[in-house]
Amino acid sequence: MNVITNNQLKATVALAALQEVVDPEIGLNIVDLGLVYQIDFDEANRKLYCTMTLTTQFCPMGESITHAAAEALKACFAGDDVIVELRFDPPWNHEMISEAGREFLNNK
Amino acid sequence: MFGGVNDTATSNTTSHQVVLPFYGYASLAYLAATLLLAFSSNAFTGHYFHPHILTITHIMALGWGTMMILGASYQLVPVLIERKLYSPVMAQISFVLAGLGIPLLCYGFYIFNMGWPAQFGGWLILSSVLLYLINLAISMAKSQEENVHAFFVFTATLWLLATVVVGLLLVYNFTHPLLPRSSLDYLPVHAHLGIAGWFLLLVIGVGSRLIPMFLISKYSHTRILWWIYGLINGGLLSFIGFFLYSDNRVWLLVPTAAIAIGLLLFALFCYRSYMQRIRKKVDEPMQVSLLSVLMLFLPLVFLVVILLLLIFGPAGNTLYVSAYGFVILFGWITAIILGMTFKTLPFIIWNKVYHLLAGRQKTPNPKDLFNESVFKWMSLAYLAGFVLFCGGILLQNQIVLQAAAVLLLISSVLYNWNVIRLLLHKPAVV
Repeated sequence: MNVITNNQLKATVALAALQEVVDPEIGLNIVDLGLVYQIDFDEANRKLYCTMTLTTQFCPMGESITHAAAEALKACFAGDDVIVELRFDPPWNHEMISEAGREFLNNK
Repeated sequence: MFGGVNDTATSNTTSHQVVLPFYGYASLAYLAATLLLAFSSNAFTGHYFHPHILTITHIMALGWGTMMILGASYQLVPVLIERKLYSPVMAQISFVLAGLGIPLLCYGFYIFNMGWPAQFGGWLILSSVLLYLINLAISMAKSQEENVHAFFVFTATLWLLATVVVGLLLVYNFTHPLLPRSSLDYLPVHAHLGIAGWFLLLVIGVGSRLIPMFLISKYSHTRILWWIYGLINGGLLSFIGFFLYSDNRVWLLVPTAAIAIGLLLFALFCYRSYMQRIRKKVDEPMQVSLLSVLMLFLPLVFLVVILLLLIFGPAGNTLYVSAYGFVILFGWITAIILGMTFKTLPFIIWNKVYHLLAGRQKTPNPKDLFNESVFKWMSLAYLAGFVLFCGGILLQNQIVLQAAAVLLLISSVLYNWNVIRLLLHKPAVV
Protein backbone atom coordinates (compact mmCIF):
# COMPACT_ATOMS: atom_id res chain seq x y z
CA MET A 1 0.00 0.00 0.00
CA ASN A 2 1.32 3.42 -0.92
CA VAL A 3 1.61 5.98 1.83
CA ILE A 4 0.14 9.39 0.98
CA THR A 5 2.40 12.35 1.71
CA ASN A 6 2.99 16.00 0.85
CA ASN A 7 6.77 15.61 1.08
CA GLN A 8 8.16 12.46 -0.51
CA LEU A 9 11.73 12.99 0.64
CA LYS A 10 10.92 13.53 4.32
CA ALA A 11 8.31 10.77 4.23
CA THR A 12 11.00 8.31 3.13
CA VAL A 13 12.98 9.22 6.25
CA ALA A 14 9.87 8.96 8.43
CA LEU A 15 8.99 5.55 6.98
CA ALA A 16 12.51 4.32 7.63
CA ALA A 17 12.06 5.34 11.28
CA LEU A 18 8.65 3.68 11.46
CA GLN A 19 10.12 0.46 10.10
CA GLU A 20 11.76 0.09 13.50
CA VAL A 21 8.33 -0.08 15.13
CA VAL A 22 7.22 -3.70 15.25
CA ASP A 23 3.77 -5.12 15.98
CA PRO A 24 4.66 -7.25 19.04
CA GLU A 25 2.23 -10.05 18.20
CA ILE A 26 2.99 -10.41 14.50
CA GLY A 27 6.67 -9.50 14.67
CA LEU A 28 6.44 -7.40 11.51
CA ASN A 29 7.10 -3.66 11.32
CA ILE A 30 4.10 -1.37 10.99
CA VAL A 31 5.11 -0.03 7.56
CA ASP A 32 5.27 -3.45 5.89
CA LEU A 33 2.18 -4.48 7.82
CA GLY A 34 0.39 -1.62 6.01
CA LEU A 35 -0.67 0.27 9.12
CA VAL A 36 0.70 3.64 8.00
CA TYR A 37 -1.73 5.52 5.71
CA GLN A 38 -0.43 9.06 5.46
CA ILE A 39 2.47 11.25 6.59
CA ASP A 40 2.17 15.01 6.13
CA PHE A 41 4.51 17.81 7.10
CA ASP A 42 3.45 21.30 8.13
CA GLU A 43 6.79 23.02 7.51
CA ALA A 44 5.70 26.46 8.72
CA ASN A 45 4.57 25.21 12.13
CA ARG A 46 7.08 22.34 12.34
CA LYS A 47 4.39 19.72 12.69
CA LEU A 48 4.36 16.15 11.46
CA TYR A 49 1.03 14.36 11.06
CA CYS A 50 1.09 10.59 10.83
CA THR A 51 -2.21 8.88 10.06
CA MET A 52 -2.22 5.18 10.76
CA THR A 53 -4.50 2.31 11.61
CA LEU A 54 -4.46 -0.88 13.69
CA THR A 55 -5.14 -4.45 12.58
CA THR A 56 -8.33 -4.27 14.62
CA GLN A 57 -9.99 -1.18 16.07
CA PHE A 58 -9.73 -2.29 19.68
CA CYS A 59 -6.33 -3.93 19.34
CA PRO A 60 -5.01 -4.49 22.90
CA MET A 61 -1.53 -3.53 21.65
CA GLY A 62 -2.84 -0.35 20.00
CA GLU A 63 -1.61 2.05 22.67
CA SER A 64 1.90 0.60 22.59
CA ILE A 65 2.11 0.63 18.80
CA THR A 66 0.93 4.24 18.38
CA HIS A 67 3.10 5.38 21.25
CA ALA A 68 6.12 3.66 19.72
CA ALA A 69 5.35 5.24 16.32
CA ALA A 70 5.18 8.72 17.90
CA GLU A 71 8.46 8.12 19.75
CA ALA A 72 10.23 6.86 16.61
CA LEU A 73 9.12 9.93 14.64
CA LYS A 74 10.08 12.31 17.46
CA ALA A 75 13.54 10.79 17.59
CA CYS A 76 13.89 11.20 13.83
CA PHE A 77 12.48 14.74 13.54
CA ALA A 78 13.77 16.26 16.75
CA GLY A 79 12.07 19.54 17.55
CA ASP A 80 9.01 18.82 15.46
CA ASP A 81 5.60 18.39 16.97
CA VAL A 82 4.54 14.82 16.12
CA ILE A 83 0.84 14.04 15.95
CA VAL A 84 -0.20 10.42 15.38
CA GLU A 85 -3.83 9.99 14.38
CA LEU A 86 -5.72 6.74 14.13
CA ARG A 87 -8.11 6.10 11.25
CA PHE A 88 -10.23 3.01 10.70
CA ASP A 89 -11.65 3.93 7.32
CA PRO A 90 -10.62 2.03 5.31
CA PRO A 91 -10.20 -0.76 7.86
CA TRP A 92 -6.95 -2.70 7.72
CA ASN A 93 -6.95 -5.95 5.78
CA HIS A 94 -4.26 -8.46 4.78
CA GLU A 95 -4.09 -6.97 1.25
CA MET A 96 -2.32 -3.98 2.83
CA ILE A 97 0.72 -6.07 3.80
CA SER A 98 3.65 -5.26 1.51
CA GLU A 99 5.48 -7.85 -0.58
CA ALA A 100 8.43 -7.66 1.81
CA GLY A 101 6.02 -8.18 4.70
CA ARG A 102 4.47 -11.25 3.04
CA GLU A 103 7.90 -12.69 2.41
CA PHE A 104 8.79 -12.12 6.07
CA LEU A 105 5.61 -13.85 7.24
CA ASN A 106 6.17 -16.71 4.80
CA ASN A 107 9.55 -17.41 6.29
CA LYS A 108 8.71 -16.74 9.92
CA MET B 1 8.38 19.57 21.69
CA PHE B 2 5.25 17.88 22.83
CA GLY B 3 4.21 14.94 20.74
CA GLY B 4 0.88 13.29 21.06
CA VAL B 5 -1.31 10.47 19.97
CA ASN B 6 -4.70 11.69 18.89
CA ASP B 7 -6.77 8.58 19.18
CA THR B 8 -10.21 7.27 19.71
CA ALA B 9 -9.33 3.73 20.49
CA THR B 10 -5.94 3.16 22.06
CA SER B 11 -7.04 3.67 25.67
CA ASN B 12 -10.15 1.58 25.26
CA THR B 13 -8.71 -1.77 26.23
CA THR B 14 -9.59 -3.18 29.64
CA SER B 15 -7.02 -2.48 32.34
CA HIS B 16 -4.65 -5.27 33.34
CA GLN B 17 -5.78 -4.68 36.94
CA VAL B 18 -9.16 -6.12 35.98
CA VAL B 19 -7.89 -9.06 33.94
CA LEU B 20 -4.82 -10.38 35.76
CA PRO B 21 -6.51 -11.53 39.00
CA PHE B 22 -8.66 -13.89 36.92
CA TYR B 23 -5.56 -15.43 35.32
CA GLY B 24 -3.85 -15.85 38.71
CA TYR B 25 -6.95 -17.38 40.30
CA ALA B 26 -7.52 -19.79 37.40
CA SER B 27 -3.90 -21.00 37.47
CA LEU B 28 -4.14 -21.77 41.19
CA ALA B 29 -7.47 -23.53 40.61
CA TYR B 30 -5.82 -25.78 38.00
CA LEU B 31 -3.09 -26.58 40.52
CA ALA B 32 -5.69 -27.31 43.23
CA ALA B 33 -7.69 -29.56 40.88
CA THR B 34 -4.66 -31.59 39.78
CA LEU B 35 -3.48 -31.85 43.38
CA LEU B 36 -6.86 -33.20 44.41
CA LEU B 37 -6.83 -35.49 41.38
CA ALA B 38 -3.47 -36.92 42.47
CA PHE B 39 -4.90 -37.71 45.92
CA SER B 40 -8.28 -38.94 44.66
CA SER B 41 -7.50 -40.72 41.41
CA ASN B 42 -8.92 -44.00 42.78
CA ALA B 43 -12.34 -42.30 42.93
CA PHE B 44 -12.43 -42.61 39.13
CA THR B 45 -12.80 -46.38 39.39
CA GLY B 46 -16.25 -45.93 40.94
CA HIS B 47 -19.45 -43.96 40.25
CA TYR B 48 -18.99 -40.40 39.02
CA PHE B 49 -21.34 -39.06 41.71
CA HIS B 50 -18.50 -39.07 44.23
CA PRO B 51 -17.72 -36.06 46.49
CA HIS B 52 -14.14 -35.78 45.25
CA ILE B 53 -15.12 -36.08 41.58
CA LEU B 54 -17.82 -33.45 42.08
CA THR B 55 -15.26 -31.18 43.77
CA ILE B 56 -12.65 -31.65 41.03
CA THR B 57 -15.33 -31.10 38.36
CA HIS B 58 -16.44 -27.79 39.89
CA ILE B 59 -12.91 -26.55 40.54
CA MET B 60 -12.12 -27.29 36.88
CA ALA B 61 -15.38 -25.94 35.43
CA LEU B 62 -15.65 -22.83 37.62
CA GLY B 63 -12.25 -22.06 39.11
CA TRP B 64 -10.22 -22.97 36.04
CA GLY B 65 -12.40 -22.77 32.94
CA THR B 66 -14.91 -20.10 33.87
CA MET B 67 -12.55 -17.78 35.78
CA MET B 68 -10.05 -17.89 32.94
CA ILE B 69 -12.73 -17.27 30.34
CA LEU B 70 -14.25 -14.41 32.34
CA GLY B 71 -10.85 -12.74 32.69
CA ALA B 72 -9.89 -13.26 29.06
CA SER B 73 -13.27 -12.10 27.84
CA TYR B 74 -13.05 -8.84 29.81
CA GLN B 75 -9.93 -8.27 27.70
CA LEU B 76 -11.25 -9.69 24.43
CA VAL B 77 -14.89 -8.57 24.36
CA PRO B 78 -13.89 -4.99 23.48
CA VAL B 79 -11.89 -6.45 20.55
CA LEU B 80 -14.89 -8.53 19.46
CA ILE B 81 -17.57 -5.85 19.74
CA GLU B 82 -15.27 -2.90 19.02
CA ARG B 83 -16.60 -1.07 22.05
CA LYS B 84 -15.15 -0.34 25.46
CA LEU B 85 -16.12 -2.55 28.42
CA TYR B 86 -18.96 -0.74 30.22
CA SER B 87 -17.71 -1.08 33.80
CA PRO B 88 -14.29 -2.31 34.96
CA VAL B 89 -15.51 -1.93 38.57
CA MET B 90 -18.36 -4.38 37.95
CA ALA B 91 -15.78 -6.74 36.47
CA GLN B 92 -13.66 -6.48 39.62
CA ILE B 93 -16.67 -7.09 41.85
CA SER B 94 -17.58 -10.13 39.72
CA PHE B 95 -14.07 -11.47 40.42
CA VAL B 96 -14.42 -11.05 44.18
CA LEU B 97 -17.87 -12.68 44.25
CA ALA B 98 -16.88 -15.69 42.14
CA GLY B 99 -13.50 -15.89 43.86
CA LEU B 100 -15.22 -16.32 47.23
CA GLY B 101 -18.13 -18.40 45.99
CA ILE B 102 -16.18 -21.12 44.16
CA PRO B 103 -14.15 -22.41 47.16
CA LEU B 104 -17.26 -22.36 49.36
CA LEU B 105 -19.24 -24.39 46.84
CA CYS B 106 -16.35 -26.80 46.28
CA TYR B 107 -15.86 -27.21 50.04
CA GLY B 108 -19.55 -28.16 50.25
CA PHE B 109 -19.02 -30.83 47.60
CA TYR B 110 -15.83 -32.09 49.23
CA ILE B 111 -17.49 -32.74 52.58
CA PHE B 112 -20.69 -33.61 50.70
CA ASN B 113 -22.81 -31.27 52.75
CA MET B 114 -25.17 -29.09 50.76
CA GLY B 115 -25.68 -26.76 53.71
CA TRP B 116 -24.81 -23.09 54.00
CA PRO B 117 -21.28 -23.09 52.47
CA ALA B 118 -22.47 -24.67 49.21
CA GLN B 119 -25.67 -22.59 49.16
CA PHE B 120 -23.98 -19.29 49.97
CA GLY B 121 -21.17 -20.11 47.53
CA GLY B 122 -23.77 -20.76 44.84
CA TRP B 123 -25.46 -17.40 45.48
CA LEU B 124 -22.11 -15.60 45.27
CA ILE B 125 -21.34 -17.29 41.94
CA LEU B 126 -24.81 -16.43 40.66
CA SER B 127 -24.31 -12.75 41.63
CA SER B 128 -20.96 -12.75 39.84
CA VAL B 129 -22.47 -14.19 36.65
CA LEU B 130 -25.31 -11.65 36.77
CA LEU B 131 -22.81 -8.79 37.02
CA TYR B 132 -20.84 -10.21 34.10
CA LEU B 133 -24.02 -10.53 32.04
CA ILE B 134 -25.17 -6.96 32.79
CA ASN B 135 -21.69 -5.58 32.05
CA LEU B 136 -21.61 -7.46 28.77
CA ALA B 137 -25.16 -6.49 27.80
CA ILE B 138 -24.57 -2.76 28.34
CA SER B 139 -21.22 -2.88 26.52
CA MET B 140 -22.80 -4.71 23.59
CA ALA B 141 -25.88 -2.46 23.48
CA LYS B 142 -23.55 0.43 22.62
CA SER B 143 -22.14 -1.51 19.68
CA GLN B 144 -23.80 -0.44 16.45
CA GLU B 145 -22.90 -3.31 14.16
CA GLU B 146 -24.39 -6.80 14.15
CA ASN B 147 -21.55 -9.04 15.22
CA VAL B 148 -21.80 -12.82 15.15
CA HIS B 149 -19.00 -13.21 17.74
CA ALA B 150 -20.86 -10.96 20.17
CA PHE B 151 -24.01 -13.08 19.72
CA PHE B 152 -22.03 -16.20 20.59
CA VAL B 153 -20.54 -14.61 23.72
CA PHE B 154 -23.80 -13.10 24.95
CA THR B 155 -25.83 -16.27 24.34
CA ALA B 156 -23.10 -18.31 26.04
CA THR B 157 -23.41 -16.06 29.09
CA LEU B 158 -27.19 -16.58 29.16
CA TRP B 159 -26.53 -20.33 29.18
CA LEU B 160 -23.98 -19.85 31.98
CA LEU B 161 -26.65 -18.05 33.98
CA ALA B 162 -29.04 -20.95 33.32
CA THR B 163 -26.34 -23.45 34.36
CA VAL B 164 -25.72 -21.65 37.65
CA VAL B 165 -29.44 -21.23 38.40
CA VAL B 166 -30.07 -24.94 37.77
CA GLY B 167 -26.95 -25.83 39.79
CA LEU B 168 -28.16 -23.74 42.74
CA LEU B 169 -31.59 -25.37 42.50
CA LEU B 170 -29.92 -28.79 42.60
CA VAL B 171 -27.93 -27.79 45.69
CA TYR B 172 -31.14 -26.73 47.47
CA ASN B 173 -32.95 -29.82 46.17
CA PHE B 174 -30.71 -31.98 48.37
CA THR B 175 -32.09 -30.45 51.56
CA HIS B 176 -35.45 -28.99 50.43
CA PRO B 177 -37.17 -31.03 47.70
CA LEU B 178 -37.93 -28.28 45.18
CA LEU B 179 -37.86 -30.45 42.06
CA PRO B 180 -40.04 -33.49 41.21
CA ARG B 181 -37.02 -35.81 40.89
CA SER B 182 -33.69 -36.23 42.69
CA SER B 183 -30.79 -33.87 41.91
CA LEU B 184 -28.86 -36.73 40.31
CA ASP B 185 -31.56 -37.06 37.63
CA TYR B 186 -31.04 -33.46 36.53
CA LEU B 187 -27.24 -33.61 36.39
CA PRO B 188 -27.12 -34.21 32.58
CA VAL B 189 -29.16 -31.03 31.98
CA HIS B 190 -27.03 -28.97 34.39
CA ALA B 191 -23.80 -30.34 32.89
CA HIS B 192 -24.78 -29.82 29.25
CA LEU B 193 -26.07 -26.30 29.83
CA GLY B 194 -22.54 -25.57 31.01
CA ILE B 195 -20.63 -27.66 28.48
CA ALA B 196 -22.47 -26.89 25.24
CA GLY B 197 -24.20 -23.65 26.24
CA TRP B 198 -21.43 -21.85 28.09
CA PHE B 199 -18.06 -23.36 27.15
CA LEU B 200 -18.72 -24.51 23.60
CA LEU B 201 -20.57 -21.41 22.40
CA LEU B 202 -18.09 -19.09 24.04
CA VAL B 203 -15.00 -20.90 22.78
CA ILE B 204 -16.40 -20.98 19.22
CA GLY B 205 -17.48 -17.33 19.38
CA VAL B 206 -14.09 -16.12 20.60
CA GLY B 207 -12.02 -18.75 18.74
CA SER B 208 -13.62 -17.95 15.39
CA ARG B 209 -12.35 -14.39 15.83
CA LEU B 210 -8.96 -15.09 17.38
CA ILE B 211 -7.81 -18.10 15.33
CA PRO B 212 -7.94 -16.28 11.94
CA MET B 213 -6.55 -13.16 13.65
CA PHE B 214 -3.51 -14.92 15.13
CA LEU B 215 -2.89 -16.89 11.93
CA ILE B 216 -3.37 -13.70 9.84
CA SER B 217 -5.75 -15.67 7.69
CA LYS B 218 -7.55 -14.44 4.61
CA TYR B 219 -10.46 -16.71 5.44
CA SER B 220 -13.72 -15.24 6.64
CA HIS B 221 -17.16 -16.84 6.55
CA THR B 222 -19.81 -15.29 8.76
CA ARG B 223 -22.63 -17.47 7.40
CA ILE B 224 -20.97 -20.70 8.52
CA LEU B 225 -20.68 -19.21 12.02
CA TRP B 226 -24.42 -18.42 12.08
CA TRP B 227 -25.12 -22.03 11.09
CA ILE B 228 -22.95 -23.25 13.95
CA TYR B 229 -24.76 -20.86 16.30
CA GLY B 230 -28.15 -22.21 15.22
CA LEU B 231 -27.10 -25.86 15.36
CA ILE B 232 -25.62 -25.68 18.86
CA ASN B 233 -28.42 -23.62 20.37
CA GLY B 234 -31.06 -25.69 18.59
CA GLY B 235 -29.32 -28.88 19.66
CA LEU B 236 -29.14 -27.76 23.28
CA LEU B 237 -32.77 -26.61 23.43
CA SER B 238 -33.97 -29.86 21.87
CA PHE B 239 -31.78 -31.85 24.28
CA ILE B 240 -33.44 -30.15 27.27
CA GLY B 241 -36.89 -30.79 25.79
CA PHE B 242 -36.26 -34.47 24.95
CA PHE B 243 -34.45 -35.16 28.22
CA LEU B 244 -37.13 -33.69 30.45
CA TYR B 245 -40.28 -34.60 28.54
CA SER B 246 -39.60 -37.83 26.65
CA ASP B 247 -38.84 -41.30 27.98
CA ASN B 248 -37.61 -42.47 24.60
CA ARG B 249 -33.85 -41.90 24.69
CA VAL B 250 -33.54 -42.41 20.91
CA TRP B 251 -34.63 -38.78 20.53
CA LEU B 252 -31.41 -37.68 22.22
CA LEU B 253 -29.57 -38.63 19.03
CA VAL B 254 -31.19 -35.60 17.35
CA PRO B 255 -29.47 -32.93 19.50
CA THR B 256 -26.26 -34.98 19.44
CA ALA B 257 -26.32 -34.96 15.63
CA ALA B 258 -27.05 -31.21 15.53
CA ILE B 259 -24.14 -30.41 17.82
CA ALA B 260 -21.86 -32.85 15.96
CA ILE B 261 -22.62 -31.04 12.67
CA GLY B 262 -21.93 -27.72 14.42
CA LEU B 263 -18.56 -29.02 15.60
CA LEU B 264 -17.70 -30.32 12.13
CA LEU B 265 -18.49 -26.91 10.66
CA PHE B 266 -16.29 -25.23 13.28
CA ALA B 267 -13.45 -27.64 12.53
CA LEU B 268 -13.91 -26.82 8.82
CA PHE B 269 -13.81 -23.12 9.64
CA CYS B 270 -10.54 -23.57 11.58
CA TYR B 271 -9.05 -25.77 8.84
CA ARG B 272 -9.82 -23.21 6.13
CA SER B 273 -8.44 -20.41 8.32
CA TYR B 274 -5.29 -22.46 8.79
CA MET B 275 -4.90 -23.25 5.09
CA GLN B 276 -5.41 -19.63 4.04
CA ARG B 277 -3.05 -18.17 6.60
CA ILE B 278 -0.46 -15.62 5.55
CA ARG B 279 1.78 -16.28 8.55
CA LYS B 280 3.27 -19.67 7.76
CA LYS B 281 4.89 -20.56 11.07
CA VAL B 282 2.38 -21.56 13.73
CA ASP B 283 3.80 -21.03 17.22
CA GLU B 284 3.45 -23.62 20.00
CA PRO B 285 0.64 -21.98 22.01
CA MET B 286 -1.33 -21.74 18.77
CA GLN B 287 -0.60 -25.41 17.96
CA VAL B 288 -1.98 -26.44 21.36
CA SER B 289 -5.07 -24.27 20.75
CA LEU B 290 -5.63 -25.88 17.34
CA LEU B 291 -5.16 -29.31 18.91
CA SER B 292 -7.98 -28.45 21.31
CA VAL B 293 -10.32 -28.04 18.30
CA LEU B 294 -9.60 -31.66 17.36
CA MET B 295 -10.06 -32.67 21.00
CA LEU B 296 -13.67 -31.50 20.70
CA PHE B 297 -14.48 -34.72 18.87
CA LEU B 298 -13.31 -37.02 21.65
CA PRO B 299 -16.21 -36.18 24.02
CA LEU B 300 -18.53 -36.63 21.07
CA VAL B 301 -17.34 -40.23 20.66
CA PHE B 302 -17.96 -40.91 24.37
CA LEU B 303 -21.35 -39.20 24.16
CA VAL B 304 -22.45 -41.50 21.32
CA VAL B 305 -21.25 -44.56 23.29
CA ILE B 306 -23.16 -43.38 26.39
CA LEU B 307 -26.30 -42.79 24.34
CA LEU B 308 -26.09 -46.16 22.61
CA LEU B 309 -25.68 -47.90 25.98
CA LEU B 310 -28.65 -45.91 27.29
CA ILE B 311 -30.81 -46.80 24.29
CA PHE B 312 -29.88 -50.42 23.66
CA GLY B 313 -29.10 -51.99 26.95
CA PRO B 314 -29.31 -52.05 30.68
CA ALA B 315 -25.48 -52.04 30.82
CA GLY B 316 -24.05 -49.41 33.13
CA ASN B 317 -22.47 -46.36 31.52
CA THR B 318 -20.85 -44.71 34.56
CA LEU B 319 -17.36 -45.54 33.27
CA TYR B 320 -18.01 -43.70 30.03
CA VAL B 321 -19.70 -40.79 31.81
CA SER B 322 -16.55 -40.32 33.93
CA ALA B 323 -14.39 -40.50 30.80
CA TYR B 324 -16.75 -38.10 28.98
CA GLY B 325 -16.51 -35.51 31.75
CA PHE B 326 -12.76 -35.96 32.00
CA VAL B 327 -12.08 -35.46 28.27
CA ILE B 328 -14.16 -32.28 28.31
CA LEU B 329 -12.66 -30.63 31.39
CA PHE B 330 -9.10 -31.94 31.33
CA GLY B 331 -9.00 -32.39 27.55
CA TRP B 332 -10.68 -29.83 25.38
CA ILE B 333 -11.13 -26.97 27.90
CA THR B 334 -7.70 -27.40 29.49
CA ALA B 335 -5.90 -27.65 26.13
CA ILE B 336 -7.46 -24.45 24.84
CA ILE B 337 -6.63 -22.61 28.08
CA LEU B 338 -3.04 -23.92 28.20
CA GLY B 339 -2.53 -22.69 24.63
CA MET B 340 -4.43 -19.41 24.78
CA THR B 341 -2.92 -18.33 28.12
CA PHE B 342 0.42 -17.92 26.38
CA LYS B 343 -1.16 -16.18 23.40
CA THR B 344 -2.84 -13.56 25.60
CA LEU B 345 -1.12 -13.21 29.00
CA PRO B 346 2.37 -12.26 27.67
CA PHE B 347 0.77 -9.42 25.69
CA ILE B 348 -1.22 -8.16 28.66
CA ILE B 349 1.97 -8.17 30.76
CA TRP B 350 4.02 -6.63 27.95
CA ASN B 351 1.43 -3.85 27.61
CA LYS B 352 1.49 -3.28 31.36
CA VAL B 353 5.28 -3.14 31.66
CA TYR B 354 6.54 -1.83 28.33
CA HIS B 355 3.85 0.21 26.60
CA LEU B 356 5.49 3.52 27.49
CA LEU B 357 8.99 2.25 26.75
CA ALA B 358 8.13 1.00 23.26
CA GLY B 359 9.83 3.17 20.64
CA ARG B 360 12.17 4.75 23.19
CA GLN B 361 14.34 1.73 23.77
CA LYS B 362 14.62 -1.89 22.72
CA THR B 363 12.12 -4.04 24.57
CA PRO B 364 11.80 -7.84 24.71
CA ASN B 365 9.17 -9.60 22.61
CA PRO B 366 6.05 -10.64 24.51
CA LYS B 367 6.78 -14.30 23.75
CA ASP B 368 10.15 -13.92 25.49
CA LEU B 369 8.44 -13.15 28.80
CA PHE B 370 7.69 -16.81 29.47
CA ASN B 371 9.97 -19.81 29.28
CA GLU B 372 9.31 -21.73 26.06
CA SER B 373 11.13 -24.81 27.22
CA VAL B 374 8.97 -24.98 30.38
CA PHE B 375 5.96 -24.56 28.09
CA LYS B 376 7.12 -27.55 26.00
CA TRP B 377 7.61 -29.76 29.08
CA MET B 378 4.24 -28.62 30.40
CA SER B 379 2.59 -29.60 27.09
CA LEU B 380 4.29 -33.00 27.07
CA ALA B 381 3.39 -33.75 30.72
CA TYR B 382 -0.16 -32.62 30.02
CA LEU B 383 -0.62 -34.71 26.86
CA ALA B 384 0.91 -37.82 28.43
CA GLY B 385 -1.13 -37.35 31.63
CA PHE B 386 -4.33 -36.77 29.70
CA VAL B 387 -3.97 -39.84 27.45
CA LEU B 388 -2.92 -42.06 30.37
CA PHE B 389 -5.75 -40.89 32.61
CA CYS B 390 -8.33 -41.62 29.88
CA GLY B 391 -6.79 -45.06 29.52
CA GLY B 392 -6.82 -45.48 33.32
CA ILE B 393 -10.55 -44.70 33.49
CA LEU B 394 -11.39 -47.11 30.66
CA LEU B 395 -9.14 -49.87 32.01
CA GLN B 396 -10.15 -49.09 35.62
CA ASN B 397 -6.49 -49.34 36.52
CA GLN B 398 -5.47 -47.47 39.70
CA ILE B 399 -1.74 -47.49 38.97
CA VAL B 400 -2.25 -45.93 35.54
CA LEU B 401 -4.65 -43.37 37.03
CA GLN B 402 -2.18 -42.46 39.77
CA ALA B 403 0.75 -42.09 37.34
CA ALA B 404 -1.38 -39.99 34.98
CA ALA B 405 -2.58 -37.77 37.83
CA VAL B 406 1.04 -37.09 38.81
CA LEU B 407 1.83 -36.10 35.20
CA LEU B 408 -1.13 -33.72 35.18
CA LEU B 409 0.04 -32.28 38.50
CA ILE B 410 3.48 -31.70 36.95
CA SER B 411 1.82 -29.93 34.00
CA SER B 412 -0.06 -27.63 36.38
CA VAL B 413 3.11 -26.87 38.40
CA LEU B 414 4.94 -25.96 35.17
CA TYR B 415 1.97 -23.92 33.97
CA ASN B 416 1.89 -22.01 37.27
CA TRP B 417 5.65 -21.51 37.11
CA ASN B 418 5.31 -19.72 33.78
CA VAL B 419 2.22 -17.77 34.82
CA ILE B 420 3.85 -16.57 38.05
CA ARG B 421 6.98 -15.65 36.09
CA LEU B 422 4.79 -13.55 33.79
CA LEU B 423 2.75 -11.95 36.57
CA LEU B 424 5.91 -10.93 38.45
CA HIS B 425 7.77 -9.71 35.38
CA LYS B 426 9.77 -6.51 35.89
CA PRO B 427 11.02 -4.24 33.08
CA ALA B 428 14.11 -5.56 31.35
CA VAL B 429 16.01 -3.49 28.81
CA VAL B 430 17.36 -5.49 25.89
